[in-house]
Amino acid sequence: MKIEKTVGSALEISGLSRSFGAVIALDQFTISIQPGELIALLGPSGCGKTTALRIVAGLEKADRGSVHINGEDLLSKPANNRDIGMVFQSYSLFPNMTVAENISYGLRVRRMKSDLIKKRVIDMLDLVELPHKINSYPHQLSGGQQQRVALARALAIEPRVLLLDEPLSALDAQVRSQIRDEIRRIQIESGTTTLFVTHDQEEAMAIADRVGVMQHGRLEQLDTPNNLYNKPATPFVASFVGITNSIPAVAESSTQVVILNQSIDIAEHSVAINAGDHVSALVRPEWVSLEKSAGVSLEKSAGESRVITKSFLGPMTRIGVDVGLKELVYAELSSKEARNYDTGDLVKVSIATDSVMVENV
Amino acid sequence: MIEKTAAPATKVAEGRSFFLKGDSVPIALLPFFAFVTFFLLWPISDVLIKSLKGNSGEWTLSNFEPMTHGIYLTAFQTSIELGLITAFIGAVVGAFFAFVIENYAGRKLTAVLDSISAVFANSGGVPLAFMFIASFGANSAVIRILRGIGLDLYANGFSLFSLTGVAFVYSFFQIPLMVLVFKPALKGLRKEWREASMSLGGSNWDFIRRIAVPVLFPSFFGSMLLLFAGGFSAYATARAMTVGNVPLVPLIIGTLVDGNVIANKANQGAALAVGMILVAVIAMTGYVWAQRTTSKWQAR
Amino acid sequence: MASPMKGKLGKYSAISVTIFISLMLFFVPLFSAAEYSFRGSYGQGHDFTNYLWIIQQDGFLAHLLLSVELGALAGALNLILMVPTITMLHLTHQRFRPIVDLICILPLMIPVVSLAIGAEVSMPSFLQNSQYELVFFFVILALPFTYRVLDTSFGSIPLKTLVEASRSLGASWLSTILRIILPGAKGGITAALFLSFALAIGEFTITQLLHWDTFPVWTVNASQQNILGAIALSVFSFIFAVVLLGVIAFTSSSRSKKEIVVEEGA
Repeated sequence: MKIEKTVGSALEISGLSRSFGAVIALDQFTISIQPGELIALLGPSGCGKTTALRIVAGLEKADRGSVHINGEDLLSKPANNRDIGMVFQSYSLFPNMTVAENISYGLRVRRMKSDLIKKRVIDMLDLVELPHKINSYPHQLSGGQQQRVALARALAIEPRVLLLDEPLSALDAQVRSQIRDEIRRIQIESGTTTLFVTHDQEEAMAIADRVGVMQHGRLEQLDTPNNLYNKPATPFVASFVGITNSIPAVAESSTQVVILNQSIDIAEHSVAINAGDHVSALVRPEWVSLEKSAGVSLEKSAGESRVITKSFLGPMTRIGVDVGLKELVYAELSSKEARNYDTGDLVKVSIATDSVMVENV
Repeated sequence: MIEKTAAPATKVAEGRSFFLKGDSVPIALLPFFAFVTFFLLWPISDVLIKSLKGNSGEWTLSNFEPMTHGIYLTAFQTSIELGLITAFIGAVVGAFFAFVIENYAGRKLTAVLDSISAVFANSGGVPLAFMFIASFGANSAVIRILRGIGLDLYANGFSLFSLTGVAFVYSFFQIPLMVLVFKPALKGLRKEWREASMSLGGSNWDFIRRIAVPVLFPSFFGSMLLLFAGGFSAYATARAMTVGNVPLVPLIIGTLVDGNVIANKANQGAALAVGMILVAVIAMTGYVWAQRTTSKWQAR
Repeated sequence: MASPMKGKLGKYSAISVTIFISLMLFFVPLFSAAEYSFRGSYGQGHDFTNYLWIIQQDGFLAHLLLSVELGALAGALNLILMVPTITMLHLTHQRFRPIVDLICILPLMIPVVSLAIGAEVSMPSFLQNSQYELVFFFVILALPFTYRVLDTSFGSIPLKTLVEASRSLGASWLSTILRIILPGAKGGITAALFLSFALAIGEFTITQLLHWDTFPVWTVNASQQNILGAIALSVFSFIFAVVLLGVIAFTSSSRSKKEIVVEEGA
């Protein structure tokens, strides 16, 4: 069922700040969302992502800053007059109403005509693929179904912006990825500008046009998933997004470090270094290259490392190697390639990338 | 869209657990069932049987006849009236208090108020009666003060030992009881609902009218039924307060059991008791139904 | 319904004030009765005359101790009966829960007066002539409350898992009960004990209808002679209970986890 593709709204958030006593929840949070975009706010608990969302929704007040939708000031409006749709983490459906009554709530409150309401409800149920549940009650639905109804309810009012507060966190893992894709499909179909808050980086990377990584109330980097992964702007982003090895290294000069006897340039946004400094290099597993040592030997010679763990992850396999440091170094190979390696094997480890990001130990 | 199918129910092999064999023979529960049968179920059935027996031990319904007229009927009516009035006052005022405590009281204050409510709610009985006799008796400080500001209650026919007086006193445990019983229901009113309503464009009034009231209604009504059952059946307070001038069923039963009674009268007492049981059971069934509905809606 | 207003009692909004006044109306009877009870002989001045009177009455101590004794027995019997029962209900006999649930609502449904009429039928004669028969009925009367409290308490700990872990590590049943089950449900057990004790001490209806003389019944009879003394006692017990529980609530709530300042995970 195709719904009218509305022209999405532009959402401008500028300098948003909020403190709770001594705790700074949001610090000069600024973000510009294009019409029709899905932006994910990603970060650990306490990073400010939910606070930012709730300020936009009108459920929290900001100490400073502004929010504009299509140029219109939003913060001066009360929460129930912002034309915004919101989906909560769990169980926000009204228990005393059927699915149809839940979905039509926003329309009934606006005193829409009942035949128009009926049509809109049916359209929404088709959109989330739950037409047969029209007269069910929330307690009769599964978690995934409830969230889909919540989504339908939020979209029924044709909001200018859609806000999602960790909508998948309360769901089972299997259901989670299904609903996640559904949300993305529906969002694209309806063209609604969307702000999606989550602490699950896989979720954010999978569906967002751009992801904003946050920490301690600050936006560390706002970029496409690809760029976040390959060109992290800060060490926090590098370690939070995707998996990374943190390997001790020594600075050779102000532009190069030595990791595992290899000289490598440091990447942009690394900390400033001087020759002799001890730092940590952030190395992605797919950059770790393994070479099987010729011959079999029980003795490890210099430059050789032993394979300790091998984890089958489906298309890829993660291999943990003991390079003589406190922690194993993990390499990620295609499972096909990984067939050549077994635990106990001796390998030579090298790093195959142009530059690495380094941070202080 | 593939629905998540329910996992087939796995059977836990009871016999393989480390301790007692499965639940085929509930030996461990026997003490409980025995105790309850002996001291609860048997007495109840005894009351039922007694009510159906006549002077010479024959089966009869004649014991129930006096309840259909005269003093016994009046007593039932008065008791029901008392129950309804105190239930209503308790429910409305108690709900209001519960709302305020839930929304405006900090953690410590709430804890203190909770325990005070518990004391008041369970007070009933003798201490409460005496306290009121002392504080609202003709000579008490309160009455004197009120008289001083021109409000002479007693001149206007107020008496603690009337139906009004008893209802007045009952309210003081009905209201806290309502707070105790209803506050959890208020707690169950999730803030997500209010926030969702706001985000969908609903005003405060919309939320109250369309969501809060309907959701709270079963609990409110059920609690009121609980209060009714209590107000209807209360004995101790009334006994300590009235001098027999207010016809209440519990009191009549009390007098029938009290003095030297002819077997006939005792069985009539049993009949009255059965009548009380009926009324109370109807009310409590409504209460249980309301609880079930509420927990169904508010299941997490 | 947690609104943003929670915790802002210092706001002195109109509602808060109204509530404050209403709450005062509850304590007016208490204070007024207290004032009454402190009145001296012939209504002159205030002193402890009435309090002293009731204490000096023949039988004050005897009846008080009797009620305390019955209360303690009722509390103990309640626990002995219910703790194993509820443990079993949660562990292995879950399917009996609905029926036990229903049975435990009965004492609330059946007016105590009605129960009293049939009470003696189940008593073996040797008990009928002893006041200890009351203990059994006190337990029954407390059942709805103690069951609910214990049930909730046991429900909040992962009982089955803990017991299986304990047993698999080699602990005996007794050890498991003492070290795992009892401490785990400590809150519920104390509450149940307190509830049944409190109920037993104050119980009037069944006691009087079965013609026994416990402290509450004795007080009412004594009050025929001296209403002031009885009032003094009632006032005292009331204030005592309120203050005691209030203090317990106040101090125990401060041990619970601190308020979460940032409400959402942000």
